[in-house]
Amino acid sequence: MSDEEHHFESKADAGASKTYPQQAGTIRKNGYIVIKARPCKVVEVSTSKTGKHGHAKCHFVAIDIFNGKKLEDIVPSSHNCDVPHVNRTDYQLIDISEDGFVSLLTENGNTKDDLKLPTDDNLLSQIKDGFAEGKDLVVTVMSAMGEEQICALKDIGPKN
Amino acid sequence: MAQEPTSSEQICGAAAWIIREGMKITAHSALCVFKRQPRGENEWFMNRPVSKTHGAAAWIIVELYNGQMQEHHLLQMLSGIIQWINPPDAVSTAIECGKSESEMLDGCRALLSIATITTPMMFDKLLKSLSPFGTLSLLSTLTCEVVKARVANTTEEETWSYVARDILLDTWTALLVPTVSGRNDALPPEGIHAAAIVFNMIVECELKAASASVFDDEDNSDYQASISAMDQRLSSYALIARAAIDVTVPLLTRLFSERLALLHQGRGTTNPTGTLEELYSLLLITGHVLADEGEGETPLIPEALQAHFVDIVEAEKHPVVVLSCSIIRFAEQSIDPEMRASIFSPRLMEAVIWFLARWSNTYLMPFESRRGNNCISGPDHESQHRSQLSRKALIGFCGEHNQGKLVLDIIVRISMTTLISYPGEKDLQALTCYQLLTVLVRRRNLCVHLVTLDSWRNLANAFANERSLFSLTAPHQRSLAETLARSAIGMGNTEAANQHVRDLVGHMTAYLVDISSKDDLTTVAQQPDAILSVSCLLERLRGAARASQPRTWKAIYEMGFSVMNPLLTLLEIYKHESAVVYLILKFVVNWVDGQISFLEAKDTAVVVNFCMRLLQLYSSHNIGKISLSLSSRLLNEAKTEKYKDLRALLQLLTNLCSKDLVDFSSDSCEAENTDIAQVIYLGLHIVMPLISVDLLKYPKLRHDYFALLSHMFEVYPEKVAQLNAEAFAHLLGTLDYGIHHQASWQVASKDMLHAAKIADTEVVNMCLRALNALASYHYKERGAGKEGLGSHAAGLKDLNGNLQEGVLSRFLKSLLQLLLFEDYSTELVSSAADALLPLILCEQGLYQAIFLNYCSELDKLI
Repeated sequence: MSDEEHHFESKADAGASKTYPQQAGTIRKNGYIVIKARPCKVVEVSTSKTGKHGHAKCHFVAIDIFNGKKLEDIVPSSHNCDVPHVNRTDYQLIDISEDGFVSLLTENGNTKDDLKLPTDDNLLSQIKDGFAEGKDLVVTVMSAMGEEQICALKDIGPKN
Repeated sequence: MAQEPTSSEQICGAAAWIIREGMKITAHSALCVFKRQPRGENEWFMNRPVSKTHGAAAWIIVELYNGQMQEHHLLQMLSGIIQWINPPDAVSTAIECGKSESEMLDGCRALLSIATITTPMMFDKLLKSLSPFGTLSLLSTLTCEVVKARVANTTEEETWSYVARDILLDTWTALLVPTVSGRNDALPPEGIHAAAIVFNMIVECELKAASASVFDDEDNSDYQASISAMDQRLSSYALIARAAIDVTVPLLTRLFSERLALLHQGRGTTNPTGTLEELYSLLLITGHVLADEGEGETPLIPEALQAHFVDIVEAEKHPVVVLSCSIIRFAEQSIDPEMRASIFSPRLMEAVIWFLARWSNTYLMPFESRRGNNCISGPDHESQHRSQLSRKALIGFCGEHNQGKLVLDIIVRISMTTLISYPGEKDLQALTCYQLLTVLVRRRNLCVHLVTLDSWRNLANAFANERSLFSLTAPHQRSLAETLARSAIGMGNTEAANQHVRDLVGHMTAYLVDISSKDDLTTVAQQPDAILSVSCLLERLRGAARASQPRTWKAIYEMGFSVMNPLLTLLEIYKHESAVVYLILKFVVNWVDGQISFLEAKDTAVVVNFCMRLLQLYSSHNIGKISLSLSSRLLNEAKTEKYKDLRALLQLLTNLCSKDLVDFSSDSCEAENTDIAQVIYLGLHIVMPLISVDLLKYPKLRHDYFALLSHMFEVYPEKVAQLNAEAFAHLLGTLDYGIHHQASWQVASKDMLHAAKIADTEVVNMCLRALNALASYHYKERGAGKEGLGSHAAGLKDLNGNLQEGVLSRFLKSLLQLLLFEDYSTELVSSAADALLPLILCEQGLYQAIFLNYCSELDKLI
């Protein structure tokens, strides 16, 4: 294979190429897909045919990665679907503000203050409690198609 | 069922009564005897299929009497039920007009039960004393009626004709299935004729059903389900066809060419779907008639096909060859784009590929074709000689020295077409990858020819150097990589074989090395196209790793070696992309599995070191990590992903373990050898914190974990002693868990629950063996004046200055608790006893104290 076929241009601008076209037949379970303009994670794929001697189509069942809603789509297998560019970055949690924003430390030493805490009580308490106990927390922030959210939490400090 | 024994006694009693009466009663009367039982407590008796009752009675009677008596009894039975099934057309009409089908079905079941204990000749002879025709003719006419009725039934429901057809097909199977020894399987001439008639009707009706089904609305066909669900039925058809092979093979050929002619005539004008579906059916039926499945062995050409057509000694005139060739020539047309577009729908192509896979396994360069002439002598020399020639012609027509290579080439080109020219057709491509191509590389003699074919080289080249095969779904690419790598066994020498593998995998390793060294990797890596490429290449590596054989292990070792560091880089970069992480882990597992036994000491150390770094890296990313999501489904998926990762890590450790058991390396220098046990314990120590009690509820993970643990304790107990207090406590904690906690099972069926409980018992068994090993080790070591488990057994002071009890006393109490007060399977008694003994010996004082305590408690109660 020649080099240019594997030359990926780094898309420095976060707004560019939020999605990528990919053949429906190659999208597997636990992959990502865009349904109704929402970025989703595929939880089920099944194939059927359009008529007995017709072509294959894929039935996707997927979950919106931000709001948890279930979405479905049926696409002919040879057609292209959109796959979202899902970015995940780790930040150290510095502070939680009164109005529900988090203050995060980036790799190059700057702070990122524009991310809101999740509103769900369960998720909120997991973050707040850990922070209150004085643990060193690393949060993973997932971003896709213009939205972002904390998707994981890791305790890297010493336990009491 | 509590009632069963009673009724068996009743059958025996009734049979004995029959015998006592000296067979004066007819079978019909015998039925009345059975039916005379009071309804109440013998309800089950009447609700059981009558055939079973008849069968049981027939069996008992056969056991007591043979030969003529048996025949007499069966005749009596037959005459008892004959009106229920004869004449078949009248019976069928009556049922369609509203009469109950129960007598007819019972009659069929009676035929089935007779068929299970008679030879075809005996079976046929029975009816001849009552009528001019034999039982086989009746069976044939009856089957035809039923099959016709089934096709005429246009409703969705399964009516009487469905049930009857299955019973009658079972009857034919019972009569025709080749037996191993002794029994004379031959059919009388009328029987052969009867089979031919039935097969003719069956195929006619299948074709009718096929062309009618195209108007079905339902979104059909998981092809796997339909072919395998039909498999039993198709196997019965095949047996019937083989009983009358002179007629049935030419029939199939004719039907096939008629449909082809229809297709060609109608091209561009008529909707071909009906004919396509008929061809689909024909291919499935023909595939079953011409070849058997094999079940893991290479199937021979069915004896019936070899033995008939004795007068035909030229291959091209042999009906089986004619049929096979016409199908292959038809299949070859799929390579032409226009034909493909107008005729070869994905579904039809699935049948074609399925057929080629089944057929090739038997007919393509069969092993028998390499055997020389057999010498025949004796009075039948002439006809035996012709028969031998006929067999030779059939076996050899696609042999290595005849058309074999040509046909192999056609099949490879057809396979390539399905992979490249049917975008998105996953089911079709799955058949090609998993069923057809794997057959082609199963045997060495095929591989020898494969690697010389341009078409195979084109496939390998397209795989290695072009983009076209990247559009296949990743698991298919894995299978393809394995197949292409495996074909190396056809190369002339080891060096050529290794080079073949290197040429295949070069692009995979080059890409991974390249991408992992990019400066902007972090930004680029998370783009969907990068993820897709990386995933495909990891799957390809996995496939190649699985094809590791003694001849080519070197090239595959080099492959893995060259990507070690890149993989660690990728594991870091993709730590949040669980799908990629899993692929990396699985590749390493497969690679180590294929390599470890062959590695010299130096290389073993390298591999082991790499695995440890992999484990540490994975652990550092995941330890203490909690997923947050609004979706419980996604959280569950995350948990499942974790569980699968952990299973892979445990598999890796288990594979490393095998180095101590199976070692093909030539090193004799002990000093350089890696201490595998040490490595495994270190690995366990790394992996342990990731395995929560919650995850141990997954049965497969549980099993893998405790299998590894108990293996380690049994084989390397001395290493356990060397663990630090924290690691030791953790491992033994899980052991305690394994002994006491049996998961609460919520499973779908009683069978699954039973299987789950067996699995559970196995886990507890393993834990008890581990405990036994540990305690025995300590006891023996102490007996020899040594440390044994040292402070772990003696107990230590913890951070607060409190004395923690030793592990053995803790387990003695724990095990006694289990044995005396908890539920457990009786299968555990033996291993529990084995574990208990050394524990008692080590902690005699404690044991006495416990029992004195129990006794005093009991005294208080009394």
